[in-house]
Amino acid sequence: MRIEKRILARVEGTAYLELEWKDGVISDARVIVAGSRSLEKALEGRPVTDALVITPRVCGICGHAHLMASVLAIENALGNPQIPKKAELLRKITLNLEKIQNHIKWFYLFLMPDFLRLGEELKDFEPYSGSKWKKAISLCADITKAIALFAGQWPHSSYAVPGGVTSQPDIHQIYSAMQIVCNVKEFFLEDMVGMPEEEYKKLGESGLWEKIEGDCGIFIELTIKHGLDWKGKSYCRMITSEQVPSCNSVVKVFSGRRFHPANYESIQVLERSVYSQTQIVRYKWAPCETGPIVRRIASGDKIVIRLHKTYGSSFISRTLSRILEVWDLLIEVENHLKKLPSLLKEPSCLDLMDKVKRLNGEGVAFVEASRGMLMHRIKVIEGKIADYRIVTPSMWNLGPRCRRFLGVAEKSILNLNNPIHAEMVLKSFDACSVCTVR
Amino acid sequence: MNVLWIHRLTCCGNTHSFLNYEHLDKLFEKIKLLYHPSLSLNDEREVVENILSGKLDLDVLIVEGAVYEDDLEIKRLCETAKVVIALGSCASYGNIPALLNSRVCGLQYRFKNKGGLLGADFLSSSGKPVINLSGCPAHPDWIATILLSIYNDENIDLDQWNRPKVFYSTLAHWGCTRNEYFEWKIEAERLGSKKGCLFYYFGCRGPLTYSSCNKILWNSVSSKTRVGTPCFGCTEFDFPRVGLFETKQFANIPAELPIGVSKRGYIMLSGIAKVFAPERLKIED
Repeated sequence: MRIEKRILARVEGTAYLELEWKDGVISDARVIVAGSRSLEKALEGRPVTDALVITPRVCGICGHAHLMASVLAIENALGNPQIPKKAELLRKITLNLEKIQNHIKWFYLFLMPDFLRLGEELKDFEPYSGSKWKKAISLCADITKAIALFAGQWPHSSYAVPGGVTSQPDIHQIYSAMQIVCNVKEFFLEDMVGMPEEEYKKLGESGLWEKIEGDCGIFIELTIKHGLDWKGKSYCRMITSEQVPSCNSVVKVFSGRRFHPANYESIQVLERSVYSQTQIVRYKWAPCETGPIVRRIASGDKIVIRLHKTYGSSFISRTLSRILEVWDLLIEVENHLKKLPSLLKEPSCLDLMDKVKRLNGEGVAFVEASRGMLMHRIKVIEGKIADYRIVTPSMWNLGPRCRRFLGVAEKSILNLNNPIHAEMVLKSFDACSVCTVR
Repeated sequence: MNVLWIHRLTCCGNTHSFLNYEHLDKLFEKIKLLYHPSLSLNDEREVVENILSGKLDLDVLIVEGAVYEDDLEIKRLCETAKVVIALGSCASYGNIPALLNSRVCGLQYRFKNKGGLLGADFLSSSGKPVINLSGCPAHPDWIATILLSIYNDENIDLDQWNRPKVFYSTLAHWGCTRNEYFEWKIEAERLGSKKGCLFYYFGCRGPLTYSSCNKILWNSVSSKTRVGTPCFGCTEFDFPRVGLFETKQFANIPAELPIGVSKRGYIMLSGIAKVFAPERLKIED
């Protein structure tokens, strides 16, 4: 038996992978995340609105999702006030845009370059010099510009506040954002899936992912060539949330066949493990995976459902779910943007600040962030934070083992025979260590 | 020019901010990133060993994130590099990771106290203190410009917090589109209002914060205050202050006044301003 510790490059933050080798295959794997920043503790005793500034700093790439979770948790504690439609749409637009840039960066910067390490000639994907690498980054800078048009800046905006948003966009911002969305749609069709819109729509209806071309086509070809398509399976159980009209969300657990309504009170945050600074998260004592794959299944995406039928939750199905989600997110953004001009006379925000200053109560919120279900729970006394709990998607996916079960990512790595494959499988969860430890 | 980018206790926000830089491909023609944890294919340990053993020259070390006060690897890298940049408020002052952990600090400061990991007297091998590019995150132009300035061997003037004066000698207030409301003392009474200044009720630190956010704008298009969010003063050592959306007041006067403004001056001027404020500023659309 041999133990090997590998630093993971090209993930969000710092993480290590400790692999135990036996007869040429991985017999045990530990995902080790270090570097706790004690963010939740730092919130205690502060006015509750401080969370809107501090929780986005959990993560540089999905900070906006944390902002949304914070504001929704506070609004939940306020009794779910009906916020103006305009504010609701703006929040959805900027959150979607954050996910879109996340997925594109992840695919071009984090995932595809690994094939170079497997010996593939992919000059276009070479970091710093590759044409596709550079194009993806500059496109993502454009997407974050669209967020900034409404949210002031990205990363680390705090424009969502209890009752709505602080910004008052006019048609100038709206049309600028629409132009950017058009560009990204073009990029998706031409570069990522290599086909015109009509064809891609038909493909979506048939679920025939094998016919995808473009850079995703290259990905599929290489994945199959390296035998990675079947690799990276974990538990079948997955967890997701769904926004319901009355402001907050419901949680659902997918058993591998169907969805069951879940009670968030049964989400358990257990002690820290001995080897990782991450806490163990379980639903009714069992691990769950979260991410785009489960929300794509829930939304009836035929491609993902077909992938899942063939491969379960594996390297290829996780990856394609993530990339192909970009299109639906774009269409949603486009539709929301179209509705905005007629809502510009609406107020951006209800005036709740006095209520917030005297707030007593508890709130919980679920947001579907780039990497899956994000939960914020808050206890407020006299407008001050008494307790703040965050459960990030990466805690579900990268979190350590408990006495009965390995962590989700840990299980997915077992029995692989190539350490680079192990790293790639781990990346199929869009590993984010900064969210894991905070 | 060889640049090494290292992550410590960080959210990686400065990395993602940097990726927004408009001329990234041109920048990469001039600087060579020996290693960046989010971008590079090579091995961090190998690069660090080669630098420390003298096989590789290190022109600029960029540290993103707060550090533990006993981080020997960072210390040795800082001693080797010609120039050291603390990127973001975590690496500069400790910021959020240092709030509750006394063992965590910035490279040459811990909040307002000089010292940090490297000590108050540290100078890099080219004779410079750590260049602090504070901000949560730092603006991509700040990073790129300073790198280019080092590349061209220019002298970089620093302020009292060792930040380049070119970006940190004016206030976030400069260029704020709500300046006229500030001038005439018309306050925003609620968030989400198109009109009014956020200084009096909503804790805006614009007149108390050195940064060029409103001059050069974020993502080339906007800023916090331009979308009606108060400035939180994230380039200063005391970020994040308690009560970020509130202005502490004594006898109806903000407890902290704009930098350099006397209490007497503030009271007199605001009284006059309010009386003579133009009507057009008072009408809400």
